Amino acid sequence: MGTHCGWMLPAGVFFLLLGAMLESAWAQGDAKQGYYLVKAGGCLGCHTEEKKDAVPFAGGRALKTPFGVFFGPNITPHRQAGIGNWTEADFFRAMRYGRRPDGAHYFPAFPYPSFTKIVDRDLSDLWAYLRSLPPNQRANQPHDLRFPFGWRLPVAIWKLLFFTPGPRADVPGLTPVVRRGAYLVQALGHCGECHTPRNFLGGPQRNRFLAGGKGPDGKDIPNLTPTGLKKWSDGELKDFLLYGLTPDGDVPSETMGEVIRNSTSQLTPGDLAALIAYLRSLPPLPDESRQPPPGS
Amino acid sequence: MNKKLLGVMVTLVGVTVYAGGAAAQDKPEVLVKQRQAVMTLQGKYFGPLQGMAQGKIPYNAEIVARNAAYLNVLDRMPWDGFVPSTKDMKSRALPAVFADPAKFKKAQEQLQEAVVKLVEVKSGNEGAAKAAITEVGKACGSCHDNFRQKN
Repeated sequence: MGTHCGWMLPAGVFFLLLGAMLESAWAQGDAKQGYYLVKAGGCLGCHTEEKKDAVPFAGGRALKTPFGVFFGPNITPHRQAGIGNWTEADFFRAMRYGRRPDGAHYFPAFPYPSFTKIVDRDLSDLWAYLRSLPPNQRANQPHDLRFPFGWRLPVAIWKLLFFTPGPRADVPGLTPVVRRGAYLVQALGHCGECHTPRNFLGGPQRNRFLAGGKGPDGKDIPNLTPTGLKKWSDGELKDFLLYGLTPDGDVPSETMGEVIRNSTSQLTPGDLAALIAYLRSLPPLPDESRQPPPGS
Repeated sequence: MNKKLLGVMVTLVGVTVYAGGAAAQDKPEVLVKQRQAVMTLQGKYFGPLQGMAQGKIPYNAEIVARNAAYLNVLDRMPWDGFVPSTKDMKSRALPAVFADPAKFKKAQEQLQEAVVKLVEVKSGNEGAAKAAITEVGKACGSCHDNFRQKN
């Protein structure tokens, strides 16, 4: 190789380093914080196959609903199989407005009605974390929905009826702790997606937030309002959400067991206390004085 | 004694035992109470293991070995209490127990297999024991998911 080309290698390395520096300077999100948020948001469950040694976030989990079965997609940065082609703005639009990059509506089995309340900085951190994952080529499965629920157009009507985009307006009079708990429960934890009963169109019954009832797969789900949690002390709730322990040695259901393993057990002590404080602060349901919790 | 007398006596004893069995032990409310008692004891001996697996209490290999042995017997006991005569009794058993007996049986087997694996792990191997404990917990949880009413 002649010496007149000798400058190309160091020049190439220089530009590579410059590009990497600029890339990391522009990347706004903090992937480490994003890792905490991805656990608080419970993303792993729906976006990972339900088998041993499944690749995290490569998609495949089946969610059975009255409308059919939804399969959580691959959200690793793979360019074909995952969301490698997305920009951060695409991610924001998906989480905040429930829209695909091509403009189509997401089915609300993807709980953007809750995630819409996540603030910008947390969305950036989540995006940074997702970008840091190794790309995986696991191909997505199409949803298996009953006719006519596979049609995305009616989702626009569903959203008009049941979806209010944007971070939750601050309710005056809440202490900082309860406000943090509200954010964890309503936005990231999306607890209401399972614990709030739905009407026949699959829309959440907002005046029965966290009141429990029948879940998407037909199983009973507990009431988390003060009446439902009356028999639990704060310490018992902590032990349950951290360790899956109940006072009599009982175990959580496998559905909730997964939430405990992947999500609530990973919260900081302050966040867990805030979550519990928020649940205790919920107003009783309109009919709760007359109606005992299910199963009692 | 002659064979005929022996035969009559054996038959009589057998009939008495059978008839006696049909008296108190088959009453639905008794069966429900007994199977619930087994579940209570399963909880008693699994609870500390779950706590160890989650890091809430210190790991103790002897307790793991002892409780695993208890669970290995207990987890074979509740099932003969889930007979159709108990269907209308007040309990947390869901109708699915009787509507889908094959699935219910599979859930039992999943628990028993997980407990056997826990027994087989050398409890001195803390990591393997904790993994096995988690699998037992999953078996309990998934059966409850499908067959027990939530509170």
